[in-house]
Amino acid sequence: MPTQSESLLRYRPWRGTLNGPLSASVAMARAAIKLLFRRWLYWGLFALSMLVFFFFFYGQYLVVWITTQVGSDTVRFAGVAVPMKDLTKFLGRLALDGSGHTFGNFIWFEGYVVVILLALAGSLLVGNDFHRGSLAFYLSKPIGRWHYVLGKCLAIGFFINLATTLPAIVLWIQAGLLYDWQTYYTENVTLLRGILGYGLTLTVSLSLLVMATAVWLRQTVPLTMVWMGVFALLRLLAGWLVDGLKADERWRLLDLWNDLYLIGAWFLRIDPATIRPAEQPPTWQAAAVVAAVSAACLLYLRKRIHAVEIVS
Amino acid sequence: MLIELNSLCRSFGSFTALSDITLSLPAGRIGVLGPNGAGKSTLLKILMGLLSPSGGTGRVLDQPLGGDRDSEGNWRLRRLIGFMPETESLVPGLTGIEYVSLAGELYGMPRRDAQRRAHEVLSFLELEEARYRRVEQYSAGMKQRVKLAQALIHDPPVLLLDEPTSGLDPAGRDAMLRLIRTLGVDYGKSILLSTHLLADVEAVCERVVIIAGGRIRSIGTVDELCSRRVNRVRLRVQGEAVAFRTGLEEAGASVVGEANNGDWRVAVPDGWANLRFFELAESHGVGIRALTRDDETLEELFLRMVT
Repeated sequence: MPTQSESLLRYRPWRGTLNGPLSASVAMARAAIKLLFRRWLYWGLFALSMLVFFFFFYGQYLVVWITTQVGSDTVRFAGVAVPMKDLTKFLGRLALDGSGHTFGNFIWFEGYVVVILLALAGSLLVGNDFHRGSLAFYLSKPIGRWHYVLGKCLAIGFFINLATTLPAIVLWIQAGLLYDWQTYYTENVTLLRGILGYGLTLTVSLSLLVMATAVWLRQTVPLTMVWMGVFALLRLLAGWLVDGLKADERWRLLDLWNDLYLIGAWFLRIDPATIRPAEQPPTWQAAAVVAAVSAACLLYLRKRIHAVEIVS
Repeated sequence: MLIELNSLCRSFGSFTALSDITLSLPAGRIGVLGPNGAGKSTLLKILMGLLSPSGGTGRVLDQPLGGDRDSEGNWRLRRLIGFMPETESLVPGLTGIEYVSLAGELYGMPRRDAQRRAHEVLSFLELEEARYRRVEQYSAGMKQRVKLAQALIHDPPVLLLDEPTSGLDPAGRDAMLRLIRTLGVDYGKSILLSTHLLADVEAVCERVVIIAGGRIRSIGTVDELCSRRVNRVRLRVQGEAVAFRTGLEEAGASVVGEANNGDWRVAVPDGWANLRFFELAESHGVGIRALTRDDETLEELFLRMVT
């Protein structure tokens, strides 16, 4: 008769019903989210993104407070008297009024943090799979390469939305509470749809871009450098060409974050004439560039995440 | 039948990794033996449906090769197989239990079942105390065992193990081989063990397929393989040996080498009686100072077959 420890260590068969490969993608995304949550660097970047959020959150509150509560002509900030009209003009420029510009600007500014955050996510969640040979672990299971891509994109999309769409929705809710909430929510439900549309565009295009660049570069530092090249240097170049050299406005299409912003502005029903800087390409051209970049990423992923990779 | 392959080929550009592989193997413990670069891993990946063959056909567990999918898009074959890759293939940052549980979910197990089963499998593989440690902190032996655990999580009828003893010390290697043998003998798993170590095959397998240069050199049971070993005798001869050597060759034996101390290694045909040595020695006027049995080792046999 076996002892207790022998019986405990005995191999037990398992019989049950197996789910389809889509549940595997969800499990992969869950594991990936867990991995990034365990990094201190992630929480540092998340704190930075929250700083942007709180700036907008308290900014919206300040605008309402100033216009309704302050009766005097000047307000004292750190002992300095600031004329009310200057302050409202400054706050007016930031468009902290619960309009489409508020949410468009918010997501624009979050972009600075999101870019670094995605470089980290890319190298950790995708680059490591190639670098450390974990791809064989995933692809030897009964899933296809697109389930792998979907699982990773879900995780990356989660982090994009955690830094952009979700706080933007909170700002929308807050704006409603600061004004006449019944009127605001009913009249501006298109803004909520716009935020979700903008978020979806960011999720799809950026997660594919992260996947493709991470598969290509695999490590954090080169990945960050390339992301900075795409999102900072190309932005500078586009700005220099269009604003400095007065070249054709289509040169601004080089700035991918701006292209995404133009699509977001379309979702948020922002009048293109009010977008600054004023020299902007048409939205359809920006959408075409984003679609082309996404398609190129898909084609690259199709080629790279191939079973042959496991052999090498 | 576990595996049936017919004229299977696989090329990478101009390089032919596998050529004209035809075999039929019943369920059981099978060793795929060959030197590094022989094409073993390529064969395993074709069997898994991770690579498609350049030519030929085949079936594994009565499923066609190439990752045939059912109406829901599930890869039927991979659900029946647990694969332990040769590469590290861990997910750094996950604990042992999370890694194995994730493998279960990737196979399609419900989350709760995968978690429960991960605990059971890790306990079975004696990783119970290390299950909450991150996998990158594991020793080489623990890493191999956790890789085996992820292959076992969904209780597959077939295990494909690619170099499972790679990087292990002798004790760890012995423990791993015992574990694999137990899974085959006591729990009825069919095992396809790819290795370049003959001793691993001897310890675990009933059948062996020897591959070299992308071609099958031999298929049979381990006993059959052993029976192909050359009968050899080690002789120490005193006196004029040249004529004696000629006499040995005329009698059907042959001197195949010399040991460091000058002893001869003599290959003898089946049914050879050692008394013949003494008769020949007497007729050629030499003395035999030592005679010991020195059969060809399995390693020597393996090298003879692959070169």
